[in-house]
Amino acid sequence: MKTFRCPSRHGYAAEISPFLPSRLACAASQHYGIAGCGTLLVLDQDEGGIKLIRSFDWNDGLFDVTWSENNEHVLVTGAGDGSVQVWDTANPRGPLQVLKEHTQEWDLERPQSLCTFRGHEGVVYSTVWSPHVTSCFASASGDGTLRVWDVKMGVSRLVIPAHNAEILSCDWCKYDQNVLVTGAVDCGLRVWDLRSTRQPVAELLGHSYAIRRLKFSPFHRTLLASCSYDFTVRIWDFSRPEPLLETLEHHTEFVCGLDFNLHIPNQVVDCAWDETVKVYIPASLADLQPCAD
Amino acid sequence: MHRLRVVSGHLSPQNRLGPYSHAQIARSECSASLPVAADDIVVVHGLRTAIGKAKRGSFKDTTPDELLSAVMSAVLRDVGLSPDKLGDVCVGNVLQPGAGALMVRVAQFLSGFPDSVPIYTVNRMCSSGLQALFNVAGGIRNGSYDLGLACGVESMSLRSVGNPGDVSSRLMDNAKARDCLIPMGITSENVAERFGISREKQDAFALSSQQKASKAQERGVFQQEITPLTTRFVDEDGKERTIVVSKDDGIRPGTTVEGLAKLKPAFKPDGSTTAGNSSQVSDGAAAVLLGRRSMVEALNLPVMGVLRACAVVGVPPDLMGIGPAYAIPAALRKSGLSVADVDVFEINEAFASQAAYCVEKLGIPMEKVNPNGGAIALGHPLGCTGARQVVTLLNELKRRGKSRGRYCPFAAWKTSGLIMIDANLLTWHHPPVYFHCCTPLAGSDGTGGCAPLSRCLSAVEWAGFLLRVNPEWPAGTTNSERPL
Repeated sequence: MKTFRCPSRHGYAAEISPFLPSRLACAASQHYGIAGCGTLLVLDQDEGGIKLIRSFDWNDGLFDVTWSENNEHVLVTGAGDGSVQVWDTANPRGPLQVLKEHTQEWDLERPQSLCTFRGHEGVVYSTVWSPHVTSCFASASGDGTLRVWDVKMGVSRLVIPAHNAEILSCDWCKYDQNVLVTGAVDCGLRVWDLRSTRQPVAELLGHSYAIRRLKFSPFHRTLLASCSYDFTVRIWDFSRPEPLLETLEHHTEFVCGLDFNLHIPNQVVDCAWDETVKVYIPASLADLQPCAD
Repeated sequence: MHRLRVVSGHLSPQNRLGPYSHAQIARSECSASLPVAADDIVVVHGLRTAIGKAKRGSFKDTTPDELLSAVMSAVLRDVGLSPDKLGDVCVGNVLQPGAGALMVRVAQFLSGFPDSVPIYTVNRMCSSGLQALFNVAGGIRNGSYDLGLACGVESMSLRSVGNPGDVSSRLMDNAKARDCLIPMGITSENVAERFGISREKQDAFALSSQQKASKAQERGVFQQEITPLTTRFVDEDGKERTIVVSKDDGIRPGTTVEGLAKLKPAFKPDGSTTAGNSSQVSDGAAAVLLGRRSMVEALNLPVMGVLRACAVVGVPPDLMGIGPAYAIPAALRKSGLSVADVDVFEINEAFASQAAYCVEKLGIPMEKVNPNGGAIALGHPLGCTGARQVVTLLNELKRRGKSRGRYCPFAAWKTSGLIMIDANLLTWHHPPVYFHCCTPLAGSDGTGGCAPLSRCLSAVEWAGFLLRVNPEWPAGTTNSERPL
């Protein structure tokens, strides 16, 4: 396990670059994100550990980060003041662009939002593009619903009342375009098939506090990871009768960020409020072969 | 604090899936985080006289008004405050007639205070000194004045515990009332028996007190807090001379376990409480200057600590001395802190039996208790001790450069209490929320790294309240005042 310590910064999101398997980014905030500023950390991992390549500061907390998929230097963060920043790792001076109003979708070519999608009745905690259908994305909300949207339509294509509590995270299965997972404040994960949304395909219980983030493995059809306020990261395989494969307790604070490496099979990055970012291969995955499909 | 509410909402246990039962998550304001406010009650400065053994020691011929006058003048002189700025003076005293109401007025004039400055006394037995602080803080809090002096004084050479006053004969029919007449030494035996504090444990505790005090005295630790006093002293042959007293004379550096073991029980033939493991009867005085922060800053006075809250608890009269065991948890609960968060506890050693019991009951590591010795070694001038402990505590915190002190007096008959004092001048800021089931949201200072949360807790018997004091914070994002 490799650890990066970021003193006085508490990690909210971590993502590994889709271009460079050794590159990762972490969106972190001062004072647990409750007040103060934020820092975007661009890190690089090697056998020796993790080092800081560049960091960018913002005057409010940064709560999410994602890498561009058409430019290896570009990343985007979401901030507590409602704005979205576009950064270039090659440009140390500041964001390339700052886009304000977080309820809207942006085209980086244009400074105004392309489209606004209304429908949710609560905070939208998470949105994820479908890896299979280009115009489709899913969103998880504090209103307890998982919604699937089509960019071409202005309204949600599908509304699933997935939990009786706020849903903090969702993710698509990388191998089945109809499968999604949601993680909620009720401490459960539910796997859904969009073709029959009456009940979940699987319900994964084990966390003792709200689930903060979920990711499906890019290498296995039924494997996913979740991180929670209960300080743990858990690995699940929902095709098994006993789905919980492993519980990792290497953090001492809320774990908020989680991502799989697209290039290094089964490598996971996570970040937590305990001022650390960790990169590791969970033991339960180390022996698994990547999925053939 | 929208974000805090959102996160709190995530942690609420409603609608929980699965059979997991968890400790309740509760959000509570952590006293450690209260930011600076103009209305804060701050401790500006404090001093004490040396403590002298009653009847044989340095102050055996000194009247209490002289002791009191010396500390009152010294405190104001040190900070350059003219006495006419004081809104009130409250003095703790137990043994003087009328708790010394006339005596203190004399002391005031001996100090050259103008007659426009009022003064009064308070008697909550051994907590009187602390109660004086509480009273002055209350006066500041309720807007009666901005600056006040809280003092304590006792001459046990010139007056003794004895006369219970005029009480009804019905007292004999009321068990609790009757218990109020139990001599203190017997209550110590009661505690020792009831809670199994052996003679050996008591002697060990006493030895530790003597050792800590004598080391502290050697290192000159008390020099900062003692104001020297020139006074009269009558020799055995009746000759009077003038002496300057600047050292506590009760400390016995040569104390050994064997020596303590030889002592005969002092209160009960087969008892375990001896002169060696009880506090000494002593003479002394202490004064603490308190003020409203806005006025203190306007006058450019220093700030040693900030007071926050008070609480009072009662305990059975026949077990007088277990007070801190109730007061301390009450204070900790109020502030969302635990024994582990506190670095130093000052617990009055009325008797080693009760002090040891409280320490054991609360699971306080001994190295955290009374770092400079306690009443067994230093002495316990009844009305003075509460104020004396605040002075010792604040100076100890200053020395350690640590952030928080808590001062706990406990009461004998009916009340038990705690004062908590923070003397931190570090500037660090953290969210004012403490999630009980998670690690506390300890703050980080701007330069990276966590500032330690250190606290002192000290207890005096007879005390009545909890004053919680917080460090100097930069203006924070929220401000929640706690009523006194």
